[in-house]
Amino acid sequence: MFATSEKYREFGREGATDWLKRIALSNEFGLFALIVVAVLVFSSLASGFLSNFNLYLLGRIIAVNTMIGFSMMVVLVTGGLNLAVGAIGVCVAMTCGWLIEDIGLPWYIAIALAIVVGAGLGAINGLLVVWSGLHSFIITLATMSIFFGGMIFLTRAESFREMPGVFTDFSRLKFFGSVSAMLIPTCIVAVLLGILYRLTRTGKEMLAAGAQPAAAEQSGLRVKKLFVLCHVLSGAVAGCAGLMLLARNGAAIPAMAGNLGQDWLLIAFLGPVLGGAVLLGGYVSVLGAFLGATLVSVLSNGLLLIQVGEFWVQACLGLMLLLAVVLDKVRRLFVEN
Amino acid sequence: MVCIIATIIISLKSPAFFSALNGQVLLEAISINILIALSQMVIIGVGQMNLSVGAIGGFAAISFAGMMEVWGISAPVAAGLAIAIGVLAGSLNGIFIVWTGVSAFVVTLATLAIFKGLNLAITEAQPFYNIPAEVGAFGNTTFFGPLPWILIPALTIVVCVNFMFNRMPLGRKLLAVGANSHAAKLSGINVSHVIIVAHCISGFLAATAGIALVARLQLGQPTIGDDWLIMSFAAPVIGGAILAGGHVSTVATVFGVIIVALITQGLVLFKVDPYLVQVVLGALILAAVGFNRWKDIQTAKTKPGMHSG
Amino acid sequence: MADLSFEVQAVSKYFPGVKALDSVSITLEPGKTHALLGENGAGKSTLIKIITGVYAPDEGALHVGRAPVRFASPRDAIMAGVAVVHQERNLIPRFSIAENIMLEHLSDQVLRPLNFAAINEAARPWIEKLGINADPSTPVMELSVAQMQMVEIAKALSLQSSVLLLDEPTAALTPHETVALFNVLRDVRDKGVCVLFVSHKLEEVQEICDSVTVLRDGQNACENLSMNGLTRQDLVRMMIGRTELIAGYRPRDIDRRENALELLDFSSSAGHHGINLAVASGEILGLYGLVGSGRSELAKAIIGLLPTDGGDIRRDGQRVTIASPAEAIHKERIGYVSEDRKHEGLILQHSVLDNAGITVWRRAVNRFGFLTQNSVRRLVEPYLKKLQVKTPSLRQTIGKLSGGNQQKVAFAKWMAANCDVLIIDEPTVGIDIKSKTDLHDLIRDLASSGTAIILITSDMPEMIQLADRIAVMTDFVVSGELGNDGDYSSMSKQIIDLIHIEETRLVGE
Repeated sequence: MFATSEKYREFGREGATDWLKRIALSNEFGLFALIVVAVLVFSSLASGFLSNFNLYLLGRIIAVNTMIGFSMMVVLVTGGLNLAVGAIGVCVAMTCGWLIEDIGLPWYIAIALAIVVGAGLGAINGLLVVWSGLHSFIITLATMSIFFGGMIFLTRAESFREMPGVFTDFSRLKFFGSVSAMLIPTCIVAVLLGILYRLTRTGKEMLAAGAQPAAAEQSGLRVKKLFVLCHVLSGAVAGCAGLMLLARNGAAIPAMAGNLGQDWLLIAFLGPVLGGAVLLGGYVSVLGAFLGATLVSVLSNGLLLIQVGEFWVQACLGLMLLLAVVLDKVRRLFVEN
Repeated sequence: MVCIIATIIISLKSPAFFSALNGQVLLEAISINILIALSQMVIIGVGQMNLSVGAIGGFAAISFAGMMEVWGISAPVAAGLAIAIGVLAGSLNGIFIVWTGVSAFVVTLATLAIFKGLNLAITEAQPFYNIPAEVGAFGNTTFFGPLPWILIPALTIVVCVNFMFNRMPLGRKLLAVGANSHAAKLSGINVSHVIIVAHCISGFLAATAGIALVARLQLGQPTIGDDWLIMSFAAPVIGGAILAGGHVSTVATVFGVIIVALITQGLVLFKVDPYLVQVVLGALILAAVGFNRWKDIQTAKTKPGMHSG
Repeated sequence: MADLSFEVQAVSKYFPGVKALDSVSITLEPGKTHALLGENGAGKSTLIKIITGVYAPDEGALHVGRAPVRFASPRDAIMAGVAVVHQERNLIPRFSIAENIMLEHLSDQVLRPLNFAAINEAARPWIEKLGINADPSTPVMELSVAQMQMVEIAKALSLQSSVLLLDEPTAALTPHETVALFNVLRDVRDKGVCVLFVSHKLEEVQEICDSVTVLRDGQNACENLSMNGLTRQDLVRMMIGRTELIAGYRPRDIDRRENALELLDFSSSAGHHGINLAVASGEILGLYGLVGSGRSELAKAIIGLLPTDGGDIRRDGQRVTIASPAEAIHKERIGYVSEDRKHEGLILQHSVLDNAGITVWRRAVNRFGFLTQNSVRRLVEPYLKKLQVKTPSLRQTIGKLSGGNQQKVAFAKWMAANCDVLIIDEPTVGIDIKSKTDLHDLIRDLASSGTAIILITSDMPEMIQLADRIAVMTDFVVSGELGNDGDYSSMSKQIIDLIHIEETRLVGE
């Protein structure tokens, strides 16, 4: 009955060529290639593209866009979504500003507490979704309005501008003259998320529960708890993104993510969706989301540099999302044949 | 019911509520919001969602104003062209959704960015100010007391949409697709066509709302449509629409709009912070979907369980 | 309603690793009711899908009248006059009865408003003919299950179909409603329609059908046999056949002094009542019942997926309450291998390793709190090897494996979970013979190593080969319990009698 050593090879690790082939066919590799192409094109069209200063600016954009993408990605795992990421991000930034300016807490405690608030708002989303059994779309649409409206009401729509220097210092910090320090928190979160989904029980359980809730539940996973946890995580990561914007602006501004925080929505979906996340849940790629957000940032930065109007860039990003969707369809057709 | 109670409470507390000017403002807001809500409701009917309602409306609005100002086209022609743009934009949504099989959410999120980007790129975020006087008059004058003229197209459309969903083959097919697209397909309904047509209608209604708003504001503002999203879902949902599709009610949606308008105006009259209106709107959506869900569970309990397997 | 015959000629259908249908034929004649019988996995549902245009046959042909037809979609089948009444309802709940029946004709005029009075009038004859005791304008959602089924039949007949296929039409009906349905079917038949009746309930088949085709292992066990002179035993023999495989049962020594799992007067919200069952360590308790008798629901009620409604669950003699599958697995060590592999058993888009490892993740966490591929692999690989799962690698997406290999991974997952009690639901439906015998060996091995097993299956030979005792379930109650003497013909007769007794009791009520 027991398999012989011959059989054992069936489960053996793949060979080096298989490994290379898999990498070359992967979505992440495709994104990487696109980024390289985009960088080559823009550096030939716009002399300033590879300047130290532009690279530093680009790094800051990538850092924030990736973080926003992560905040959506961790909910996409469940097969749901979180329209309130922008609202939560702004709420967290405003909380941090308030804690520092009005309460007088030191910045590090304020940051920690503000992120806890973000997680708490995420928990509200998660609990409402799980209790009601309704789709997260309508729940987070409502909470987006509630969180943002509540925040504006409490702050009287006024900014907190007396931020300690540590925020602006951090956002201006650069290494080797061109690498923004803002990439540090993003990379830390990326690594943590990578560890979560690859190396921890909770992460694996989140993926399983998102992919097929009934099967996961029958296999002994607490699906509801896991879904709430995903929303908590989303709130916390959205909070981090809000704090990074606070650092970049040097102030907590209620309008920094647009009305109701809707300006974040496109960016939040672009990164993960380009990165290959499955909207029905159960599969995400941290690296893919990072590369997706990077591609988006490179494109928008490059287009601005070659004098394409700011507003056309937004239309381009929309087109890109459509294109990604179409390419995905073509790829699936190709794979099936 | 809720509507009447709210009206009574508010009018008792604040006699100014029924003054003519207030009535006009209220009815104007209701007229435009009805168009916005119906634009979303049609899509909810087929079991999808349309995030680009505001972007289409805004794009149609600035097209309308821009064509009149820059090209000097007469108002009716410009309105016709703007509506055509809305229908075209909607058809793009529908075609992409049907063709790629990707969720309406992602497709309309993308087109939201595209239409909004085009809008801002064309206007460079500056409003068109030169709106012909007769357009402004249409948006701001009344007949028969406080009844604004824009109430007429809004009510006409309500009647048409209601008739479509209750009487016309198209409306019934739309609901059949929303309720059970597999069954609809087996019965010979062309599901793809129905979905595309629904998005065209949605684009048409959004464009109409945009044009009406230009008339009312006497301004072709690029920000038109930015704040439509919540409103567009709130009214149908309060009206009992099922987000999964297959059940919408035009009349109930109109009541949803009225409830939202009354509460919004009421809060303003009570000098409640206008920003709290957002919170109330969100809470209303939650309450409405929660109530619908609760009702479903109750009916499921009273029906005997069905077994399988 | 043209009097057209319908023929399926030597149809074959292949799926990766399995030949689901092997040159199957069936002939329907106008004015006759024909039965299609077969156990789960005999190829019945594949054949139905071919007749209704969901699948195209790989070999063979379909004929309506004398003309060959090809169905590219379910719609094609309907247009060719093959109407289906499925178990899952194809109605629009908020539309009226009349509108549902006439849904096909909505498209005729784009610009003309619908005349509901005319639609109601057009539908009324059908409504009356089928005895749907309701006004044509009643929304379908307000009807009973039986009435909805009648609406579906009316819808099918309104299309002037020459073939009416009913898939398990009585599964959700009361005996009284069944009688009404049969009257309608006789009426329809006499009008020259070919009726194809698919059911597990042999009594009904005998009552209503004129001829019968039985499928077994993807082949015809009989073709267009007249029902005249056929006994229920004959039908069962044709469905189950394979006497050569049935020698397998050997009585085993089981210590029955203490029960691993015991149900006392157990009731559930699904409708079970007064259920008493017990299974000892090392014992295989077979739970036999027709589809719809409440077998899977009982398993789900035990593991906490459906609310219980009274009575006790005892685990090793201790009274326990189980609120969720997580508690069932990790606290009480009870596992449930679902019959619905695609939705409840496996996560098809995930890898073999992630599927097999899902129940051991708790244990596989290392001392730094991490869950590495290797630690999971160490826990599940022995089982995957023991079951001889054939996969290119453990990273392979499980949806791409054959059904047999998928089921083996599902088993490996539950073996790795180290449960003391396993409820195994239809373990071998739709998988190849080799995997089937492998899984049978495995179930015996599991029992020998001390696991208490409740085996739910509608595959009678499987039951008689494996089970030490057999409990028969009918309509959410246990109607009797038998010791297994391993003799196939006497055992199957006893089981069928138990089902029959209970059913006649129900009809008599």
